[in-house]
Amino acid sequence: MTLLNDIRDYPWTNLLTGLLPARLAGMLPARLQSKAAQIVPSASIAGHALTVVIAIMSFLACLTLGAVYMVNQSANAWVNDISSEITVELDPINAADIEKKMTLVALFLAKQKGVNRVKPLTAEDSAKLLEPWLGQSSALQALPIPRLIAVEIDRSNPPDIQVIKSALTQNFEGVTLDDHRRWQAEIKTLTRSAALAGLAVLSLVAVATIAVIISATRSAMVSNRGIIEVLHFVGANERFISREFERHFLGLGVRAGLMGAVAAALAFLLLPFMMQMLGGGAVTAAETQRLIGSGELDLKGYLLCVLVVVVVASLCMITSRLGVIRVLKTYA
Amino acid sequence: MIRFDNVGLRYGSGPEILRDVTFHVLPGSFHFLTGPSGAGKTTLLRLLFMSLRPSRGLIFVFGENVGELSAGGRSGLRRRIGIVFQDFRLLDHLTTWENVALPLRVMGKKEADYREDVTDLLRWVGLGDRIHAYPEVLSGGEKQRAAIARAVIGRPELLLADEPTGNVDPAIGNRLLRLFVELNRLGTSVIIATHDYGLMEQLDAPRLVLTDGHLQIR
Repeated sequence: MTLLNDIRDYPWTNLLTGLLPARLAGMLPARLQSKAAQIVPSASIAGHALTVVIAIMSFLACLTLGAVYMVNQSANAWVNDISSEITVELDPINAADIEKKMTLVALFLAKQKGVNRVKPLTAEDSAKLLEPWLGQSSALQALPIPRLIAVEIDRSNPPDIQVIKSALTQNFEGVTLDDHRRWQAEIKTLTRSAALAGLAVLSLVAVATIAVIISATRSAMVSNRGIIEVLHFVGANERFISREFERHFLGLGVRAGLMGAVAAALAFLLLPFMMQMLGGGAVTAAETQRLIGSGELDLKGYLLCVLVVVVVASLCMITSRLGVIRVLKTYA
Repeated sequence: MIRFDNVGLRYGSGPEILRDVTFHVLPGSFHFLTGPSGAGKTTLLRLLFMSLRPSRGLIFVFGENVGELSAGGRSGLRRRIGIVFQDFRLLDHLTTWENVALPLRVMGKKEADYREDVTDLLRWVGLGDRIHAYPEVLSGGEKQRAAIARAVIGRPELLLADEPTGNVDPAIGNRLLRLFVELNRLGTSVIIATHDYGLMEQLDAPRLVLTDGHLQIR
């Protein structure tokens, strides 16, 4: 409850002076500035090195969190796309008049409940699907390539796939239905593995960030031990002393966290362009999109970066309080 | 006001620095604490100021058993005590005025309410022209006076001073003693740890004499 009281009693009107570097803070209107001299000097807390270290760790944390979020979003989009479509395959060997059979099957499928759209693929379309493996060759026309019908299903009211499958087998010879379940399972496994790997990296970055902040904050507290002692000897209680330090560490955490988050946001904005440049044109925007979604964070993604700033600032604040308590414990 | 009952103190597993120390300090009293170097004067002051816990015995400050007090309770009592350290302990980034005003700020008082008081006190201790100076440009004597001003600004009920005249010339030393006596007349109990026999000669006050960890009252 003490921490909540401290948040309530915090001089929020002076927050800007805590967030800005001393030179800029001095240019703020007088009403936003604290009239009394700082008991704990900013320079003893927010050294450039400490700010840079925390900013870098925040940047890495935002980058990892954003990447995990992006992979997860992309994976969900993939799974959603393929789960809303099934494919019907017609064996070309046993079909005397394949085009007629295509029409009959397509009509049959269109009549089924829960089917939104039926799109029979032409022989050329089917041949094109094989081009990435066999290349452009006239020999493709001579091959007995299976004909495909793409069926878009209503995901809110999906059809009974097993019933359609049995009906197709009973009514048409050499017709099979693929509901992509195997592929979906493989993609789910792949994306889940990628997300887990991302989370593992995120955990490592989070632990490293926490360790760096704690270590840096402790160092700053040690260098300010003399101030803590004097405040203790003039009768300041633990709450007063920790608040004097917390306001600096909160400012430091928010400032460094924001620097890291803004840098990460810029990196995410530039990611698609960078990938295009690195790919030398071979990696097209469409391919990038297929791999990592749009390559840009959506609003939720940016909110995650804001969350990182909040966590980093809170961590700085809490660590400084624990540091004060630790120093004060060395007295009676 | 202060009561020590058979207090003993040792650091770690070392020998006892203070042994069976028993004494009372009454409200409004004035004491000198003296003894040879290393006799435990500073340690006794630290016990009085509750920045050390005794190894044995009981200490009562303002009627409270210090051993049973929480950290918050001890902070509350410390606000009623002013202390002058041998090494001054001024904050280098604050001006003389801000250093002296620190105890009042810690108490939560508004600057407008104490601005004049702090300035007047600084003038009284001869630092009227050093109000805006930082400790690093003050001489040893000026730092000593600023430290004393900081200790007395809150009108403490008990004033503890560790060698308060050690760094000042005799004239300033006498003036500071007059300040302590004046405070004492206003009701503050004063304990001054000192080697300065000249200072002790000027005032007929009981002496707490520490020798080899034992305390005698003369």
